[in-house]
Amino acid sequence: MKGFLDYVDGNSVLHRLNPMTKLIISFGLCASCFLTQNHAVVAAIALFDLCLGALAGISRRSALIFISLLKLSAALFLLQVFFVRQGNILLVLPFGLRVTDAGVSFSALFALRLAAVTMPLSLMLSITRMSDIANVLVRYLGIPYKYAFVLTTAMRFIPLFTEEMAGIMEAQTARGVRFDTGNFFRKVRLLLPLCVPLLISSVRRIEVSAISAELRGFNLRGRSSGYKRYSFGANDAAALFICVMIIVASAMI
Amino acid sequence: MIKIEGLVFRYDGSPRDALNDISLDIEEGDFVGIIGPSGAGKSTLTYALNGVVPHHYSGNFRGRVEICGMDTAKAGPEAISKYVGSVFQDIEGQILSSVVEDEILFGLENFGIPRGEIEPRVEYALKTAGISELRHRNISSLSGGQKQKVALASIIALRPKIMALDEPTGELDPQSSRRVFETLKELNERHGLTIVVVEQKIMMLCEFAHRLVVMDEGRIAAEGPAREVLRRGGMLEEIGVNIPRIATLARKLRGLGLYDGITPLNLAEAEKMMRNGRQC
Ligand SMILES: Nc1ncnc2c1ncn2[C@@H]1O[C@H](COP(=O)(O)OP(=O)(O)O)[C@@H](O)[C@H]1O
Ligand SMILES: [Mg+2]
Repeated sequence: MKGFLDYVDGNSVLHRLNPMTKLIISFGLCASCFLTQNHAVVAAIALFDLCLGALAGISRRSALIFISLLKLSAALFLLQVFFVRQGNILLVLPFGLRVTDAGVSFSALFALRLAAVTMPLSLMLSITRMSDIANVLVRYLGIPYKYAFVLTTAMRFIPLFTEEMAGIMEAQTARGVRFDTGNFFRKVRLLLPLCVPLLISSVRRIEVSAISAELRGFNLRGRSSGYKRYSFGANDAAALFICVMIIVASAMI
Repeated sequence: MIKIEGLVFRYDGSPRDALNDISLDIEEGDFVGIIGPSGAGKSTLTYALNGVVPHHYSGNFRGRVEICGMDTAKAGPEAISKYVGSVFQDIEGQILSSVVEDEILFGLENFGIPRGEIEPRVEYALKTAGISELRHRNISSLSGGQKQKVALASIIALRPKIMALDEPTGELDPQSSRRVFETLKELNERHGLTIVVVEQKIMMLCEFAHRLVVMDEGRIAAEGPAREVLRRGGMLEEIGVNIPRIATLARKLRGLGLYDGITPLNLAEAEKMMRNGRQC
């Protein structure tokens, strides 16, 4: 999953949409997943997400994201399906566990939703620069630039932290610590002490970021400081129209 | 251009002075290399140039730092930034954006550079740093050397008069390090920027810097043109600065009375030293 939050440069129709349009569509698709109680509709939305990925020229990446989401969904399905008590019993298991038809339906919907909700957000991040998102949040929604900035920098720091953690783990492995234990609690016990050096280096790094921002005039920035202008064209109108149709349809089915 | 007089600084909560009575004059167009062991106060000295000390880090600040006639203790950090551009040791921490172009726009947008001037400045910065083709790339996909150039470009775009760099090649291989220094040289010679750079690779400093400042325990231990500073090799070794082997050799030959020419800084000069030495 390395780099799954990264922007992928491109010039597709979707890339060229107004960042605000992309934000609205991705949240619209999420909303649709929750508005419907129908498995087929949620599956259709997930399929639609994959088509969008193909349209943006990142079909391979979206397929990879989808597959890893499906794995996670499958795990969640198994975690839930044994604990729903309502409905007709399909299967009785030891330890008082049972599988009911309502349980299967409920867990499947939940698992499908997880995949279908995450897809549009991760697609949106793949084809929209963080700075563009920050700029439209400031311009259209009036969010103070400071908050938008925190959001974009946080996105930048996530991969840095995972990289740093991997580095620390590698160093520990070289000293003979074995992280490849299957025991979850053992692993947590091994990882916990590493949080201290990670925290220290992170704090130091954030300090440098703060100074770097300050010296480049961060405090002078106003609402109209953004250089890029975002137009709203026919493509945006069409995309929003399709999005509204999907929301309405999923609310009705 | 830069005038430091009796500068003393102690970070709040620190038992000793990070800078202890520093006085230093740097002329316009100079290229100054700062070297010294870890904890000598090199980073703190660059902080004194860009106003991070005393504006960001509080502490006991005495003495005076003047940049282009401006007292840094009185001017705000942004006002100082108009003259001094800073590059920090931690490249990853310094870079704030995900895409190269955005990193360069960041400062330009903040300082309210007129719209018509922004595009030419972005192009100029990318070209000077030698990364025009990386403009739309994701920064996380770049190499360490390329990232360092992005950091440089984001400062070049602001057209400072002075550039203060803290170990800009600390995490780079020798070849990328050279390219960074060649960019600095170009900024210095072609665009007249004053360069102050902290650097551990002493051979690099000797080749590119006009002047060396050796720091130790918050003081300036030696200062002058590279050759003169290297003549005092014994003192440098004592405080823990690695000096080039050819300079040590020259000093030893001099001690034995076999040589009394210049301290060689490259292979060609070293060869000359050896040939002349044999004639003695
Ligand atoms: N933020 C800080 N707070 C307190 N003490 C600091 C801070 N930064 C540096 N120091 C101290 O100041 C001294 C000089 O540090 P520094 O300028 O980073 O040296 P150098 O860059 O030469 O390694 C060191 O003793 C260090 O511990
Ligand atoms: Mg330092």
